[in-house]
Parts: sequence; structure tokens; C-alpha cells
Amino acid sequence: MIRKIVYGVFILIIIAAIAIFMSNYKFGVDKMDVGKYYLDNTVPQTGAANVVTSVTLFYRGFDTLGEVTVLFTAALGVAVLYFMGENKRKQKLQESNFVTKIGTRVVFPFILLTGAYIFMHGHLTPGGGFQGGALIATGFLLLYLAYEETSIDRKKFYLVEGLGGLTYVIIGLLGFFMKGSFLANVLPNGTLFDLLSGGIMLPIYIGVGLKVGSELSNIIDDLMCEVKCEEAGGEE
Amino acid sequence: MGINVIIGYTLMFIGAFFFLLSAIGLLRLPDLYTRMQAATKSTTLGAISSIIGIGLMKEDILIKSIILATFIILTAPISGSALIRAGYKVKSPMTDKTVVDKFKEKEGE
Repeated sequence: MIRKIVYGVFILIIIAAIAIFMSNYKFGVDKMDVGKYYLDNTVPQTGAANVVTSVTLFYRGFDTLGEVTVLFTAALGVAVLYFMGENKRKQKLQESNFVTKIGTRVVFPFILLTGAYIFMHGHLTPGGGFQGGALIATGFLLLYLAYEETSIDRKKFYLVEGLGGLTYVIIGLLGFFMKGSFLANVLPNGTLFDLLSGGIMLPIYIGVGLKVGSELSNIIDDLMCEVKCEEAGGEE
Repeated sequence: MGINVIIGYTLMFIGAFFFLLSAIGLLRLPDLYTRMQAATKSTTLGAISSIIGIGLMKEDILIKSIILATFIILTAPISGSALIRAGYKVKSPMTDKTVVDKFKEKEGE
């Protein structure tokens, strides 16, 4: 009982503190200097129509490079957990139905196209490299679900993944040597709303999109192998 | 108010009506298979007519809305059939009133 009273008093104190703290702020007034700075300066400084992309790639590009590394580490961890030794895919899974197979054939190219569209227009429309890459990986997931004999060529996917990451670092180094700071904008800004605008954002997001897509596809391959390997082991 | 706006509102009303029907069906129908009917068929029709209706009201997005409707037609049957097949394979129970099971008949051949 006394514990409940203590908790109640504690919650009341927190609510009162928040209320007093928030009453100092007025609604509808610019509170954040940072946000205002981005909104005012994105278009003249970067030439990107999408402010969010300009923040993630232009103002905080180094941070995004760290995010890419985090994703790479996650994929590596999954691979180490599930893909030790050879790929022992023996057991055939239950065959998927006719509609899924035919539909996958129709939809799969459009999924890849949409993914590529999203990561190439990251500086113009909502989306970007991570979202487009995830969409591409869902296309491969659909292939795995429809055709149980699907197996992506892991070496090529690793190559694409490495090249995508390398693009990012090379562009960063170009900025370092030409403009004096890592990931500085070395390309012209172009006109607003053009595909070839926004400086280094377009090549970086193409690299990130390919990298994320191949990485997530590799994770899917690992997980599918795990399912199938377990079933094969259970039957032996 | 042009004729396209009137047709657009009518289509949107039809779409909303089918969404309402599928919501009622999800609540009222007895087992997985009949609920999947409500969740896939009528929502597909509702989404298509709402999207086409919006496209008719604003001409500049008409082509986009037609493409969207095409993709809904393409993808909704795939997901619906895959889900219902998975439900059948894990032996989700049928309602007592079920009279025919074509899938079983075909497998038994």
C-alpha cells in the first residue's frame, strides 16, 4: 500500500515537472535553431529537394557511414551464426502454389525497378538507399518463397555489397583530397528537382542501395538455409 | 462540379462501402477461410475503386492511380492465396457448415 502511494506521488511529481517545463514554450514558434538552419540552407547549399536526405547524407554523412557499417556488422553476425561450413541444403520444402509462382514472375522485376527508383530518387522524394535496398531484398525473399530451389550467387552479392560500401568511402576520400574534409561535396549541385542534382548524394545512395539490398538478400539466404538445414538434419 | 468529380465520388463511396463490408465480414464470419474472403476480395475491390475515384477527381494523378490499381490487382491474389494455403496446410479448423473441400478432393486423386 505504502509502495503504491510512493509510486503515485513520484508520478505526480514527474507530471508536474513536465507541465512546468513545457509551459515555458509557446506553440507555433521556432524552437530549434538546428531545424530552422536545415530548412533555410538545404536548397542553396546542397541542391537537394528532400531535406531529410540532405541531413543524413550531407550534413551528417559520416554518421550514415557508421550506420552502413552497423548493418554490415549485423549481416556478418548472421552469416557467422548460420552459415558456418558448407551450404547443406538438401531437403526440399513444400512446393508453393501456382498463383505464387506465376505472380512472382510478374511482380519481381517491378519490385527491383521500384527499389532502384526509390534509392536513385532519395534526394528528391521520400525514401533513399536503405529503403530502396530493403525493397530489393523483399523481391528476393519473394523468389525464395515461390521457388524453393532458389539460391542466390553469394559471391556476386558479396562483390556488389563490397563495391557499394567502397563507393561511399571513395567519395568520402575524394572530398578529403579535393576539398579538405571527409565527405565534402565534390560534385556540382545542379538544378533543383533534377535527377542529377544534390552533388554527392546520388552516387552515395546508389552505392548504399545496392549494398543494403545485397546485404539483406544474403541475410535472407542465411535464414532460409538455416530452416532447410534444420529440416534436413531432423530427417537424417 | 464536373461529371468526373461525380463519378469519382461515387467510386469512392463504393470503395468505402466495400471496406465496411469486409470489416463486418472479418468480425462476423466463422472461420479462417471465409474471413480471408472478406479480408482479400472486398478490400481489393474497395481499394481499387477508391484509388480510381481519386484519380478521376484529379486528372494529373489519374495514370498513377491506374498503375496503383493494376499492382493491387496483381499482388492481392498472390498474398491472399499464399496465406490461405498456409492456413490450410497447418490445418486451421473449418466451420461446421462447410460442405465442400475441393482441395482435399484434388489431393486425394
